[in-house]
Amino acid sequence: MSTPRAVQPAQPILRVEGLVKRFGDNSVLTGIDLTVAAGQAVCIIGPSGSGKSTLLRCINLLELPDEGRVLFQGQDVLGLPPGLLHARVGMVFQQFNLFNNLSALNNCVAGQVKVLRRSRADSVRRAMLYLDRVGMLPYRDARPAQLSGGQKQRVAIARALCMEPQVLLFDEPTSALDPEMVDEVLSVIRTLKDSGLTLLIVTHEMAFARDAADRVVFMDAGRVVEDDVPSRLFTAPRNPRTRAFLARMMRG
Amino acid sequence: MPTSFFGWITFLIQKYWPLFLSGAANTLLIAVVGTAAGFAIGLLVAIVRTLNLRRGASLVKRAALALTRGLLTAYIEIFRGTPMIVQAMVAYYGASQYLGLNIPAMSAAFLVVSVNTGAYMAEIVRGGILSIDRGQTEAAIAVGMSHWQMMTGVILPQAIRNILPSVANEFVVNIKDSSVLNVISVTEVFFMSKSAAGTYYKYFEVFFITAVIYFILTFTFTRLLRLLESKLSGSASYTVYGSQTDHRAEIELRREP
Ligand SMILES: Nc1ncnc2c1ncn2[C@@H]1O[C@H](COP(=O)(O)OP(=O)(O)OP(=O)(O)O)[C@@H](O)[C@H]1O
Ligand SMILES: [Mg+2]
Repeated sequence: MSTPRAVQPAQPILRVEGLVKRFGDNSVLTGIDLTVAAGQAVCIIGPSGSGKSTLLRCINLLELPDEGRVLFQGQDVLGLPPGLLHARVGMVFQQFNLFNNLSALNNCVAGQVKVLRRSRADSVRRAMLYLDRVGMLPYRDARPAQLSGGQKQRVAIARALCMEPQVLLFDEPTSALDPEMVDEVLSVIRTLKDSGLTLLIVTHEMAFARDAADRVVFMDAGRVVEDDVPSRLFTAPRNPRTRAFLARMMRG
Repeated sequence: MPTSFFGWITFLIQKYWPLFLSGAANTLLIAVVGTAAGFAIGLLVAIVRTLNLRRGASLVKRAALALTRGLLTAYIEIFRGTPMIVQAMVAYYGASQYLGLNIPAMSAAFLVVSVNTGAYMAEIVRGGILSIDRGQTEAAIAVGMSHWQMMTGVILPQAIRNILPSVANEFVVNIKDSSVLNVISVTEVFFMSKSAAGTYYKYFEVFFITAVIYFILTFTFTRLLRLLESKLSGSASYTVYGSQTDHRAEIELRREP
């Protein structure tokens, strides 16, 4: 492609090559190529069913790819020990998926103790640090059932941060939230970008993608259709499908 | 000799109370041991049956898991599909005739009730695991937990709370159904009652007492277990820490889960 892309990395932290995923006869991903530089925030947009979640889930192996590879720091993720991969590449879910039997604090402690084998004291210290960063420290003793959606999602982000990952995957982190809670979560995600973490965010929040992302990837029908800096992708999309999708989104 | 019904009841209790008491104690012991061991079996079986091999598992591992699954399914089907009274006969006489083992009746009772209960518990626990939303499993995998860590740390604590009524029910069933073990001469309360009844041919009166004993056991434990369940369902309040330094700043918040 002749158009220069946003900051093309010398050393990509994440690289997806020719990724294909099928569910039975349904080809959900039909050859995805994607490179993410360390420290970049990449937003993935696209219509429902285009395979955005499946792409994220193939990256951290919640789904097994049928063809192609996912490289984390140049290494095939299939070859990494599961604990290591998941400690380096964290995930935040649309439905939060907090551990309902544990307090906010222990949601953040469990992975550190079990997977990273940190001491309880060390894990608690870090959990407090990250709960504070997402503004949930006062609620550390609350159970998930006692928190609002926005609060749950902030705890879920703290839980992921406690593992001190290098890449964080977000699958529509605000789609299950009431409108008034969307901003509290988005502003937390913005602070992560400033901390240098690599972010891959599937979102329907176009305004957020436009001003927080270094790059925006538009997916349709299992393919990357357009991949560009937000200033260009949102104002002068080259592909007619991108244009049609954006027109629909802007209309609301 | 007593002439009235109540006369006989009083007489029989006075004469045979040690039999009734030790029988009831054995019944309770069998139910406790059988339910506890059966629950442990059920947990282990359900953990293995819900194990999904992750990427890159070798063929040997896959084959071993498939075989184990097949065996566990057979175990569950067979023990749920045959009466415990028959299982007791087969185990007891099979052991003595073909293995040359003369198992003490009480040990045979523990074994039969545990293994039988385990088959039911495996299904109950599996149901409990399925009742926990898939999202928590994915979140556990996404932070890198192993199947065992996820099960013991996240899924089973919730699943067990959900299935507690069914587990308690198995215990009550075991109090009653351990009566079938009289066929292999386990000295539980039914067997003791038969011995007591034989002497004076007072079957009605003796088994009236036996019925009362069973009812007291089941009623008491149903209530106790229900109390335990409500204790375990936990508190609905938590403390919000308003200030790190000043405890007066703590606020109690209550919200319906
Ligand atoms: N486990 C699965 N089994 C079968 N089909 C699946 C599975 N997961 C996803 N699919 C299918 O794959 C397609 C893409 O799904 P995916 O969830 O990746 O889309 P998406 O872009 O995230 O959509 P949305 O914006 O609605 O979340 C859909 O048609 C979906 O039905
Ligand atoms: Mg999705």
